[in-house]
This record gives sequence, C-alpha cells and structure tokens, in this order.
Amino acid sequence: MANHRVGETGLTESRPPNHHHHHNIPYAVLHGMNVPTSFIHQEGSAFGFGELEEAIVLQGVNIRNDEAKAPLFRPAATLEMFPSWPIRFQQTPRGSSKSGGESTDSGSAVNTICSKTENQLEPESPISTKNTTPLDHQQEMASDFSRTGTSQNQPVAKLPQEKRRGSTSEKQLDAKTLRRLAQNREAARKSRLRKKAYVQQLESSRIKLTQLEQDLQRSRSQGFFLGGSAGAVGNISSGAAIFDMEYSRWLEDDQRHMSELRTGLNAHLSDSDLRIIVDTYISHYDEIFRLKVVAAKADVFHLITGMWTTPAERCFLWMGGFRPSELIKMLISQLDPLTEQQVMGIYSLQHSSQQAEEALTQGLEQLQQSLTDTIAGGPVIDGMQQMAVALGKLANLEGFVRQADNLRQQTLHQLSRILTVRQAARCFLMIGEYYGHLRALSSLWVSRPRESMMSDDHSCQTTTDLQMVQPSQIHFSDF
Amino acid sequence: MHYQGESCTASRSIGSDPMERLTKLASESAVVIFSVSSCCMCHAVKRLFCGMGVNPAVYELDQDPRGKEMERALMRLLGNSQAVPVVFIGGKLIGSMDRVMASHINGTLVPLLKEAGALWL
Repeated sequence: MANHRVGETGLTESRPPNHHHHHNIPYAVLHGMNVPTSFIHQEGSAFGFGELEEAIVLQGVNIRNDEAKAPLFRPAATLEMFPSWPIRFQQTPRGSSKSGGESTDSGSAVNTICSKTENQLEPESPISTKNTTPLDHQQEMASDFSRTGTSQNQPVAKLPQEKRRGSTSEKQLDAKTLRRLAQNREAARKSRLRKKAYVQQLESSRIKLTQLEQDLQRSRSQGFFLGGSAGAVGNISSGAAIFDMEYSRWLEDDQRHMSELRTGLNAHLSDSDLRIIVDTYISHYDEIFRLKVVAAKADVFHLITGMWTTPAERCFLWMGGFRPSELIKMLISQLDPLTEQQVMGIYSLQHSSQQAEEALTQGLEQLQQSLTDTIAGGPVIDGMQQMAVALGKLANLEGFVRQADNLRQQTLHQLSRILTVRQAARCFLMIGEYYGHLRALSSLWVSRPRESMMSDDHSCQTTTDLQMVQPSQIHFSDF
Repeated sequence: MHYQGESCTASRSIGSDPMERLTKLASESAVVIFSVSSCCMCHAVKRLFCGMGVNPAVYELDQDPRGKEMERALMRLLGNSQAVPVVFIGGKLIGSMDRVMASHINGTLVPLLKEAGALWL
C-alpha cells in the first residue's frame, strides 16, 4: 500500500525544485553547496544598516510598496554578493518614527513593510532572535524624534553617502550630524552582527537538514522506521507504524512471488519445480501471519479497524483480515476443472471455515456484551476498578484476532493440500490478483473527482467519473 | 451441553491430584470442555461444537472449588499462559482453540467426533 509508505517525504531530491519560497536565499546556501564562508560573511562596510535586513525580510514576500516610494538606492557593487535577492527594498529615511515597527512580530513582515505612516522599512529580520536591538532602535528613534529639522528623506546608509555629504559641505558637520553619523555607524555595526548571527543560523540549519536527509535515506534503505518521525505521522502507534512498513514490504514481495507463479505456470514447469514455487508462496503468507501476531500484541485496534489496509479491503474486513469462507466462495467458480473428491473437499472446507467464523464472531459478540455491561451506566461503585476490569476484557481482542488469523492461515494451507500443484499455483495467483484489484479499486476511489470538491468552473461533475481518472493511476497486474 | 458442577460427588473421592481429576473428567464424556464462565474464547469454542450439533460436557473451573489448581495443571499441560478453553475428545487431549480450529479446517475434527460417538452422520 503506497499510501502507507513512510519513506516518501518531501525531503528527497526527486521532488521537482520548487524554490519560489527560497529564491531570496543564495542558491548555493540552499542547495548545500560548498560556499566559501568569506562570501557570506563579507562585512562590507559599504553594506549599511538596514539594507541586509530589508532584503532578508523580503524573502519570498512580494512587496507592494505603494506607500513607501522613496528613491531606490543601489550601491551597485556591494549588493552583487546576493545576486538572487530582489533589489526591491527601498532606502528609507530614518528620521521618521517607527510606530508599528517594534511591536510587530516576525510573522508580519509584510505588515511592517507596508505600514503607511512612515517610509521606514522594518529593519528587523523575521527569523533572527532579537532581544536588545529593538530597544536600541527605540532609543535611537527617541533621539531622532528629539531632533528637529532633520530632513525626512535622509537616506539610511552609509559611508559613500556620508562621505559624499561630508565632502560637499563641511559646515554641515555640526554636532547633530556627527551624532547621527555615530548612531548610524552603531546601528550598522549591530546590523552586521545580526546578519552574521542569522547567516550562521541558516548554515547550521542547512547542515542539520542534510544530516536528517542522510539519516532518512539510510534508514529507509535499511528498512527501519525513525522513532521520531513515527510519532509525527498522525496519531499512529509505533507498533502500527512498524507493521504498516512491514506490510508494504510484504506487498512488494507479493508482487514478486506472483510474477514467479505466473512465469512458472506459463513456462509449464515440472510439478516438483512448481511445488517449490507454491510452497514459497505459502511461506510468504505464513510470514504475514507471523507479523500480524506481533502487531496484534502491539496494537490490536490497528488490525481490527483495518487501517493497515485499503478502503475497499476494509469493506470486507472480518476480525482484522479477510473472511476465509468469502475467499473460497470467490475461488470456487474459477478453480475448474476439479475432481469430485476435490469439489467435496473444497465445499467441506468452506463449510468448516464458516462454522469457525461463526463461533469466533459469537465469542467476540459476547466480549462486546461483557464490555458494555462493565462500562455502561448504572451505579459506579468503583470507577477505577470498573476500568481495570474493562481493560482486562479488552485485552481479549488480541486473542480473537489471532484466532482469526490462525483460521486464515489454516484455510490457505488446506487449499494447497486439496488442489494439485498447478491448481494451487493458479489459485494463489487468483488470490493475489483479487486483492491487487481491490487495492487498485481503492486507489481509484480515493482519487475520483467528487462534486463537492470541484470548483465552479469545472465542467464535468457527474457520471463520467471513471473516465476522468488518469490511466497512469490504474495499475492492474498483467494477466 | 451439560454442565458439571459441585454437585458431582464422584469427583471429590478422587485423590487431590488435579491432573488425575482432569483426566477422569475428560474420559467421562465424548467431548469435554474445560472452561471459565467469563471467558469469551471459551464461549466461542462452545458455540463451535454446538453449531456442529455436538453436545459437549462443560466444566466451569471458576465454579469448581478445586478449579484453581486444575487451571494451573492445564497451564502446565499445555505450556500456555491460557488455561482455558481446553478440549478433550474421546478422553484424548485436543488442545486450545487454535488446535481445535486447525483440526476442524484440515478435516480431522469431524472423524474424531464421529469416532468418539459425539457426532452421527
């Protein structure tokens, strides 16, 4: 059952690169390429305060910055170190207040950017941890507030400009300007430190990610199930998850065995050779019954509710598996020609399995009745005691599933005794194909287009459901 | 199905060995089931025989004063943590539910029952 395959996460390379979330992160970093650290940690002093953070904030976020239309500043050479980052941020004046800026959290990067009252872009990285810097900003802003007469359109950065300004008019280097320059430098320094911290965080996450991917690959190839991710897959118990994994592997083996049976039949092998193949197939079934014993002990409800199988199979579920008499009924018509003795044997097998099924069903009904009596209404003398008794009764479920599986196993063995080798080979092939069809039916069912799920402009809504399904989804085994 | 309880005085005259008692009881009827009244699997095995038209003798060990030691003896006999249900046919031990079902499926149960006189054609 491919649905239960755990290995298929989104972490593998087989998934088509879908980078629209990440196109602002340098391609090299994203793909774990060996990026020389100097490339990343270049602290160009020309790369001033706010530029990098703005770029970080703008990762994958399309900014519709109608409000903040300050002139776009491009210190050309310095920004080439992040070539894939959109140069969409805008230089903003620092003189205005950052009203909403400090209070907003990382998740609302867009809000902060589109804040209408000022032209100031939120210079905080959405991801990096900030403890002191907002406060610093506050203080800086407060001091900025106290300043009067500063132009609204002072560009935020940096040395080239400052130099420029400094060189053009010496008389403007008054105390206020000096102080502002110093504050700018300080903020720029802090910004560089933050950037460094953030990039280091990114790098360590990248390393962790590749390690996780390697672990996943390794354990998948070894056929194990990571304990951590087992818990993450919905609320499935680890016993159930392990069984699901083993069952899906069993299904793969089943395909292999079935093709062996098929080729064996078609090749007209000798009876003794065919017997080997048939016996192997029987042991293959013995194996799943062994696995189910373990699974019943670990999580009987997983078996009983049929969550380990596909929806269509679940339809026919009886005590955690197939109903032997139903299987025989399905086979009887297809097993011709049979000798009279064989016919009697098959019918007697069907009869006895029906009797056994009936006995187990009645036993289970009595268990349910007893459980109901224990936990249903009435005066609760000792709730905990009641629960303990109920738990004890519930534990008997495992015994019933085991007996049912025992019945299934015995039925298959008896079939192989009644039939000749060739008949047995055909019979097991039929069984395998039958369940393969049921599983395929389940896949079709699950993926069928449904009215409630269609958008308004979808034309086909009703009866041609089957035609809508892609042929690739149908994988019937070849006959 | 007929139940044997404390009123069966013959059982008390036998020695205190529970195994002896079990053997004795097992030979008294064609089909003997040792059971516990609250056990659902025992109920299933009883239903199986009744469904086949057999009339087994059922001993509810929880209603027998010496039931506990007989249960223990059965556990030792079977090498099982589950003492009941246990089935004897014609005085011979058949086993627990899984053995009973296996023998029914492979067609050996009915001849045994016929042989013991528990089933007529």
